[in-house]
Amino acid sequence: MPLPPRDFRTIGPKEGEPFPAVRLPDQSGALVDLHAARAGRPALVVIYRSAEW
Amino acid sequence: MALFALSYDAVAILRDFAAAHGITYPLLADEGSRVIRALGLVNERVQDDHDVYGIKPNPRHVDLPYPGVFVLDRDGVIAQKRFHASYRERETGRGLIARALGIFTEPAAPATGTAAAVQARAWTDSPSYAFFQRLALTVELAIAPGFHVYAAPVADGLVPLSVEVAPIEGLEVGEASWPPPRRFDMAELADQLWVHEGTVHGTLPLTFTAAPGGGDHVVEITVRYQACDDSSCLMPSSLRLELPVREVALVGRSLPSPSVASGGAR
Repeated sequence: MPLPPRDFRTIGPKEGEPFPAVRLPDQSGALVDLHAARAGRPALVVIYRSAEW
Repeated sequence: MALFALSYDAVAILRDFAAAHGITYPLLADEGSRVIRALGLVNERVQDDHDVYGIKPNPRHVDLPYPGVFVLDRDGVIAQKRFHASYRERETGRGLIARALGIFTEPAAPATGTAAAVQARAWTDSPSYAFFQRLALTVELAIAPGFHVYAAPVADGLVPLSVEVAPIEGLEVGEASWPPPRRFDMAELADQLWVHEGTVHGTLPLTFTAAPGGGDHVVEITVRYQACDDSSCLMPSSLRLELPVREVALVGRSLPSPSVASGGAR
């Protein structure tokens, strides 16, 4: 049975808006500034549940 | 193109996962879901969704984000959002590359069929599926020169183009999307008609939601249509395409043994 639909246009940052600044540690523990690490390139930002389960 | 993945896992978990799977792009550790919450991506309805599937409450299922992908342009502006309601859902890598980046690869082994004035091919963006992965089924119709097929809605007595996927346990089939049809004017007809001509591609999302171990399947696709030229129509036609898909395990898991799994591997 499919889940009730969500309107993702209204959930999270919107299309046409700048992606917010994100600074988080990566798997090595080093702090990554997402936009600085992009270095002017287009990017895919994958949001996923967990690498553990 | 840069690639980032973001979850609520701790650095140590991501370090092990990256090492186990040879991942070199940044896996961002948003422990406590601080950024996920700031982005407004927390799925507050996880337990409601669990009730749909009969899943019990789980302390790890708190502050989960909706799963999906942001496609950013060079300026860091969000060009596309591709999100799903269930935390279990995701696109295939190849499907994401096709639909987010517009890079299409030729299918390795499409199913083929031919009927009146139409040659059809069908393929999925991945020949295999994992539990809850969303595959895109593409149906390609090559309509013979001089002929067209009708798009819905049609006048009485005509059959519009449709695609039907035979039921498979746990398989959710989404709505088909087709390119916009062309308006077709016939002096002797009062009704407006819409037609497809040449080569057209329709896509349907397929999500395999049965428990892992559902096994390999043959997706049976029926295409119904009516082909006409400028002066007359052929009888309504249908053609059937059979497309095998193989089940693969989720990353880091193995499939249940076929002997105990319902259906088993064929």
